[in-house]
Order: sequence, then C-alpha cells, then structure tokens
Amino acid sequence: MSFTLAVHSSKGGTGKTSIAINLAGVYASEGYNVCLLDFDFKAPSFTNFFKIKPRYWINDVLHDRCSIKDAVNDISNDFDTSGRLYVGLTDPDIESIREISSKDRDWQAKALRFLIRAKKELIDSGIDVVILDTSPGIDYESINAVAASDYVAVVVKQNYTCIKSTEQVIDGIYNILHKNCAIIENMCHDGYLYPKNSKNQNTPVVESIPCMCDITAKTDNDLIVFSEPDHVFSKAMYKISQNITKMG
Amino acid sequence: MITMSENDTFDQILDKLNEINEKLDRLLQDTNNSNINDKDKESIISNSMDVMTLISLPEHLRTTATTLLKLEQATANEIAEITEKERAVESNYLNQLVKLGYAYKFRKGKQIYFKFDDNVN
Ligand SMILES: Nc1ncnc2c1ncn2[C@@H]1O[C@H](COP(=O)(O)OP(=O)(O)O)[C@@H](O)[C@H]1O
Ligand SMILES: [Mg+2]
Repeated sequence: MSFTLAVHSSKGGTGKTSIAINLAGVYASEGYNVCLLDFDFKAPSFTNFFKIKPRYWINDVLHDRCSIKDAVNDISNDFDTSGRLYVGLTDPDIESIREISSKDRDWQAKALRFLIRAKKELIDSGIDVVILDTSPGIDYESINAVAASDYVAVVVKQNYTCIKSTEQVIDGIYNILHKNCAIIENMCHDGYLYPKNSKNQNTPVVESIPCMCDITAKTDNDLIVFSEPDHVFSKAMYKISQNITKMG
Repeated sequence: MITMSENDTFDQILDKLNEINEKLDRLLQDTNNSNINDKDKESIISNSMDVMTLISLPEHLRTTATTLLKLEQATANEIAEITEKERAVESNYLNQLVKLGYAYKFRKGKQIYFKFDDNVN
C-alpha cells in the first residue's frame, strides 16, 4: 500500500503544518517509509521545524533543476523512527517566494507534471506515504498538490466562514478531481462538531481536535507526537492516521 | 434516450472509424516516406494543461486528461486500460484534447502516442 495525502484548508492558520508534520511522524513510527514535503511556497515553514541545510529545495524540483531524490533529506535518525522519514524543504528566502508567485499558467502546468513525476519516483523507490503540506485556499501550488494526491485532509476551524469556504473547495475542487477527502476539525471549543446539516455529510469528519494553548509552544522545533505521545493532540494524530489508511 | 445496445453499436462504429483513420494516416505516412522519423509530430500545442484548466474541462475529458498526466505519454489503448472505457472512446477524447490544443500526438513505430506539452522531457 502506498498513497499521497495533501493537507489543505480553505483558510489560513488552521493547523495544516502542525498536523502534516506530526502525521508524518506517526506514520514513520508505525514503520511506514514517509516523505513529507513543504508545498507552501508563499509561507514556507519547515526550516523552523527541521534544522537542516538542504542541498536542494522543493523549489528546485519544480524548476527542473534537480530530481526529487536530491531534494529530500533523511531525518529518521533524529527521531529514531522504525520506518524511514524524509523531508523536503521549501526555500523561505523572499527572492524564492517572489519567483514562484510570479509564475504563469504554462510554468504551473509544468510544475504539476514535475510533481506527479516526483511522487512516482518516491513511491517507486520505496516510500509508502507522501504527505504534502499545502498553502491555504485556491492557488496553483495547493491545487497542484491536491491534484497529485490520492487523499485530501482538509483542516477546518470552527467558524462559519471557514466551514462555508470548506464546502466550496470540497464541491468545487476535491470532488471534481475525484479525491477521497476527510475533514479534520481543529481548534474546537466545547467539542463543537461539524454541523450535522452540512451539505457535505458524506465527507467524514475524522477527528475534532480541541483548541489547546500549549500546542503553539510545543509544535515549534519538535514533534509533539514524539515528545508527548499521550497529549490529546498526539492521540488525535494517531486516530487520524488510522482513519486515513482506511480511506483507500 | 440511448439504450445500452445502441451505445455499444455506436462505440463499435467509432472504433472502426478510428481504425480507418489510423490506417489512412499510416498510408499517407508510407507514401511520402522521404523523412519518416519515429517521433513524427502531427499537431501543435497551443494551450497548456494546468490544474485550473483541468478542473474546468468536462468530466469525460478530465478523466482522460488526468490519466494522460499520470502516464506522461500514452496510446489510446493504455488510457482505456486505466479508465476502463473502450479504446475507441478514449481515442476520440484524446483527439478532442489535441483539437483543443492541449495535447499532441506522435508516432512511435505503428503506435500513435499522445502527450501534453513537449517542453517537459
Ligand atoms: N489544536 C490547536 N490548538 C491551539 N493551537 C493550535 C492547534 N493546532 C495548531 N495550533 C497553532 O496554530 C498556529 C497555526 O498552525 P499551523 O500548523 O502553522 O497552521 P497552517 O499551516 O494551517 O498555517 C500555530 O501556532 C500552531 O501551533
Ligand atoms: Mg502551514
């Protein structure tokens, strides 16, 4: 079994990066070979979590300056996972962010092709789970990531605008591209659940994670699933990982 | 309302027409065999297949396009194996993608291959 998961959301700051990174940790600790890629070219954040000086960035893969194997770094030893854990970083330099945001449709069409190829190369070389941490909303980078994935985990914050715009991306993007998708509610208060009368009742809510102030401090520089496996957030990650593997 | 058997007959006709088309192509190719090369391009690209375009395609073409994106280059047969549609149907869809300027076709031996944008090796 191998699959690619895009962690996406219709709005910013929903917890995609925290969830993507920790899910990667969970899968690797369960023995899967995992490759986690930063696909948020507008607000790259992996350099805050992984103290690596990469030879190549994911940007270079999309520019066809290197292959995906040159741009991923083996960090299994840092976390002592039983499966291998690779991570691909995106260049946080403002020059690189500007470079990508000025790209046209033709370039984005090629970027999609290189991404699909990269994913294939990873799977062929023994990776079981590819996780793409995306930028929020509908832009080329995030929708390219969705298109190249088998599953989408859409992270939703509990407010009306976020729920409404999530319904739009489910109907207007994921369903059209025939993606299996699951909703993760994050930063919930009072166990508030995704409205039962929602149009997307057939998109399962796989987990509701409460809002916990200590997360903000803990997710920096560390994977909470390893440092605090009994934390509510960590337990949620284990549950999400199981539900996602069952989606196929 | 088209019935199941009418649909089958239609597919068979389409299949035959496409076969004739490809035979004609091959005949033409053979008659002016001055510069036959196995990567003979038979159309030009004017539109790129980016993800927003993919989303805006009608459902049937989107499935074909998505499959071609995965395979990078493919014959109608190879696409049909994955989409589980008739080869002739996929051949028709692929030719529509060519007509729309998204894909091009080229010959490799006796086979006709389809591909998006040539600038990606
Ligand atoms: N369940 C939660 N409770 C409280 N804070 C959270 C929770 N999940 C994530 N956060 C915090 O919210 C902020 C945004 O999270 P992040 O993962 O960077 O989101 P995104 O990638 O969607 O922008 C971070 O400071 C993170 O630590
Ligand atoms: Mg993020």
